[in-house]
Amino acid sequence: MKSSDEFELNAFVDGELSADQQAEMLEAMRADPELARQACELGQLKAQIRLAYGTPPQVRRRGADKVRESWRAIAASFTLLSVGMVSGWLLHAGNPDDRAANAGRFVVLDADGRGRAPAVAADEETRIVFHLTNADQTVAGELLDEVEGMLNAYAADGHPLRVEVVSHSEGLDLLRESLSGHKERIHQLAVRFPNLAFVACKNTIDRLRVERGIEVKLIPDAEVIDSGVSHVVKRQKEGWSYIRV
Amino acid sequence: MKKLMSVLFAGLVGLTTWSGVATAATEGMKQKVVYHVNEDDPKQQTGALRNIQNHINAVGKDNLDLRVVMHGNGVSMVLLPDALGRVKGFKNANADPQMQASIDALKSQGVSFKVCNNTLTGRKVNKDEDLYMVDAADIVPSGVAELAILQGQGFAYIKP
Repeated sequence: MKSSDEFELNAFVDGELSADQQAEMLEAMRADPELARQACELGQLKAQIRLAYGTPPQVRRRGADKVRESWRAIAASFTLLSVGMVSGWLLHAGNPDDRAANAGRFVVLDADGRGRAPAVAADEETRIVFHLTNADQTVAGELLDEVEGMLNAYAADGHPLRVEVVSHSEGLDLLRESLSGHKERIHQLAVRFPNLAFVACKNTIDRLRVERGIEVKLIPDAEVIDSGVSHVVKRQKEGWSYIRV
Repeated sequence: MKKLMSVLFAGLVGLTTWSGVATAATEGMKQKVVYHVNEDDPKQQTGALRNIQNHINAVGKDNLDLRVVMHGNGVSMVLLPDALGRVKGFKNANADPQMQASIDALKSQGVSFKVCNNTLTGRKVNKDEDLYMVDAADIVPSGVAELAILQGQGFAYIKP
């Protein structure tokens, strides 16, 4: 990528481009999936940096407007990106029957509002969100080992624990019927532990359809949320611990 | 992409400096940060240690409580090259003299390196023979649980 492109992409993710320039960038992203992917990754990294360093109260006090503005810019970028993706999706809409296969499993995690509580809530519940972006099924298997170990250890100690595994980008492979190396294991874990959820990113599913014409079929234990990135950011704001794998 | 990463990293260091100065000046408190290492690419690990040194340069070692948590393939950072034949499941052992020197330099500035016991037992690693300068106090029962616990204590999480 040329360095002028990099600056423009950064400016786009930061919401610093004019409306015309943004439209141009969205157009370029539709034509160039690689560019769209980079924008997505860049937005994700920036959101995480802001989250890590925007939260201390003393910082917020000094630069509250700046932080708020940055968040607004990020939110605006994501909105624009989603608009682009949705319009791309509409343009390339595939067989409605295939779409229906995943449509029924949209979930509102936290209907009970428990996700809004701090990482270790009053009832001492520990909350961890794992963000899986790696396609390597060995790595995914090690993650499942860790998750299972923790669920067992916490249950044995009588400490409540909630775990979500968010599969996003290449990490979605873990939850794809055709590519997952751990279908059976995930099913066993999901049955054994009601406090464990496997979550798939719909943006990734849509991107695979638009870019490569792939209709993703998920394993039965996967739940679907709109955006993996905004979900992990939301969880961190709610006080969950975050671990990227 | 490399250039992009360096631009981003400059941004990270900038943000770090900014919040670090604000923290130290207003609260007299230490900035708490945990770095997560679970991959075995030596270049990536060297880069992570460089990130940490830059972080210290930006914020000042006295203003930081900085920990590195290694688990899974990440333990290769402190795995001695001659141990590779004895242990299970590792493709790389990256604790060559250069890596050792980087680790020593960071330890002398107050950085602590924590190693996951689940990984050690699962991969047949002997901490005294196979690892570079890891003692009992550096071992945590589970690397993943440690990351969760530290975040619960207010540590910022960085995955380089």
